[in-house]
Amino acid sequence: MKLTTKQLTLCAVLTALALALSYVENFLPLSLAVPLPGVKLGLANIVTVFALYALGIGQAFLILIARCTLGALFAGNLNALLFSLLGGLSAMAVMALLSRSKRLSIYGVSVGGAAAHNCGQVAAAVLTLGNTAPLYYLPLLLGVSLFTGALTGFAAGLLFRALEHTSLMKA
Amino acid sequence: MPMKRSPEVRPKPADALVALAVLALAAALALSAWGGGRSGGLTAVISVNGQVTETVNLSRLSGPEVRELNANGYTLHVRLSSDGAEVIDSTCPNQVCVHTGHISRAGQSIVCLPARISVTLSGGAENGVDAVLG
Repeated sequence: MKLTTKQLTLCAVLTALALALSYVENFLPLSLAVPLPGVKLGLANIVTVFALYALGIGQAFLILIARCTLGALFAGNLNALLFSLLGGLSAMAVMALLSRSKRLSIYGVSVGGAAAHNCGQVAAAVLTLGNTAPLYYLPLLLGVSLFTGALTGFAAGLLFRALEHTSLMKA
Repeated sequence: MPMKRSPEVRPKPADALVALAVLALAAALALSAWGGGRSGGLTAVISVNGQVTETVNLSRLSGPEVRELNANGYTLHVRLSSDGAEVIDSTCPNQVCVHTGHISRAGQSIVCLPARISVTLSGGAENGVDAVLG
């Protein structure tokens, strides 16, 4: 894939943004509101949604791979790579499909992505553990993903509205 | 560099279909994963690295027992009693297994991913429920 300097720079900034968002959301006391293990807002998904629409699936894929690899490196945990890759790739595949539909808004796309992300992560947990015990959490996680997906969809929507007032994504 | 595509930023009716599909999947999974949920006469299945290492019939325990489990450099203390199981403490970094708390129904499980240990409750006698509708 040939990238212009502007595209490459934007990809790098978005990768850094996704890493920062997934770090920052660790500090949100979400587990106080939803006392379930493994529940996260998935703020980094805002970046995937944005990249998918604004830059296309190729660059969104590059950003996702860079984010997962660097995130696992920073955490010093190779196990985390499997989790974030399976979660992230499932979310992106589902969102790429859903975003083709003209009848869905960014909310539907984002909720589908959040649900797929949970399915991917539970699949990674099943693979890591070698048994199906993590499947027990999936229904709860899917329920929560309706809210987290809508929230990240809203945030990404704000981003697109704000961008209309800038020259960043103009020809 | 123009946008490839611009999304619709206001919710549309079809979005509800995505939400419904997610809910339907959750309900179907809940039925299959929790449908066998019964209390009483429980068995705790302890797995380490994906291999079942111990199966404990909880109803046959004379009193609460604490097991020490060591795997992958971490140590967990699991308290088994006739009404379920819980991880009392763990040396793992994220403590998800400890925060899961007490489990008491068949189908429930406690998972510690860093140590690759899981405790799953299974089997058991019928509870007082005749049927579950809806």
